[in-house]
Amino acid sequence: MNQEENDLISRCQQGDQDALKEIFNLYHKKVYRIAYGVVRQREEALDIVQEVFLKLFRSIKNFTGKSHFYTYLYRMVMNTAIDHARKIKKSRTLSLDENGSFEPSDGVEKRPDSILLDKELEGRVKQAMEKLQPDQRAALIFREVEGLSYEEIAEAMGCSIGTVMSRLHYGRKKMQELLKDYIRLGGGK
Amino acid sequence: MKDPCPSVSKLLEKYFDREVTEEERSLVEAHLPGCPNCQEALNMMTGLRDVLKNPVEEAVEKEDFPWVWQKIERGIRLAEKPPWWESIRSWLDISPLFKRRVWIPAVATVAILIFTLVLFKKTPSHPGASVVEYLESPIYNVMVYDLEKAKVTVIWLFEGPEQEEFSS
Repeated sequence: MNQEENDLISRCQQGDQDALKEIFNLYHKKVYRIAYGVVRQREEALDIVQEVFLKLFRSIKNFTGKSHFYTYLYRMVMNTAIDHARKIKKSRTLSLDENGSFEPSDGVEKRPDSILLDKELEGRVKQAMEKLQPDQRAALIFREVEGLSYEEIAEAMGCSIGTVMSRLHYGRKKMQELLKDYIRLGGGK
Repeated sequence: MKDPCPSVSKLLEKYFDREVTEEERSLVEAHLPGCPNCQEALNMMTGLRDVLKNPVEEAVEKEDFPWVWQKIERGIRLAEKPPWWESIRSWLDISPLFKRRVWIPAVATVAILIFTLVLFKKTPSHPGASVVEYLESPIYNVMVYDLEKAKVTVIWLFEGPEQEEFSS
């Protein structure tokens, strides 16, 4: 953690809103990426970003500086995002029919245009992610979406590098099984 | 999906994630050109990454983040603003006029005054009436008075305490 970031955090710990704004400017895209990566919905992801920065402002006093600030923040984002994902799973508007094939809830027939294909793919990705264990999902998002190293993921998740590798391996394997048709279709997108 | 070869299977994911040493990287890169299974495994990993990452990047590009910050600022203000009953209580606490020692006896005094006034208020027998003339005689008594509200003059002729005659 550099000195500038240290100063920002100290100011924020004293309740300085301008410091929080600077932290927001530094991290909002990263926070949004992780949030969106987990919930795969714009509005939900934005709600998570808002909730995370409000939580951060309230709880930053508890940040002792023993770990990197971004891992502290990433952990907060991931926990908030997974909580949201659990809640919205129940109220999901997209549904699976009996054969497990994806259909938009409004009953519009599938057409081979790219917009609908993107929507279908996103729905599939979301459903597949929900089938992963939360730790596997978190490791996969940290690595594939945010591009964190094994070491950074281990710090954010409070586990060893070996555990991170194992979570990534099983998470990838399951996702590849669930999305095999779409990966071939969508992989070259 | 085909599994990668046992010789590099443990390294392939690390290679894909750029977490290998130089020596490990050379080993994997020497193996890959002659192994379709490992190539396919790598392609699958790349495909999965694209599927997970591309929509997120597209969403980030479209987003209006200054608006998100405004919502956060509003959230902070709301969290800082005390509820209305707290505001009233704190105002009562700081206002010298309404400090508990002053306002309880003051309210009590006002209440007693109002109660006393209501209790001992003299109510007129004919509200709104003003007597113009009153005559007494051994046989008849006459009273003339105006009713201001109805703008009527009343002449009241009565014989005795028991028998009264009314005319207007």
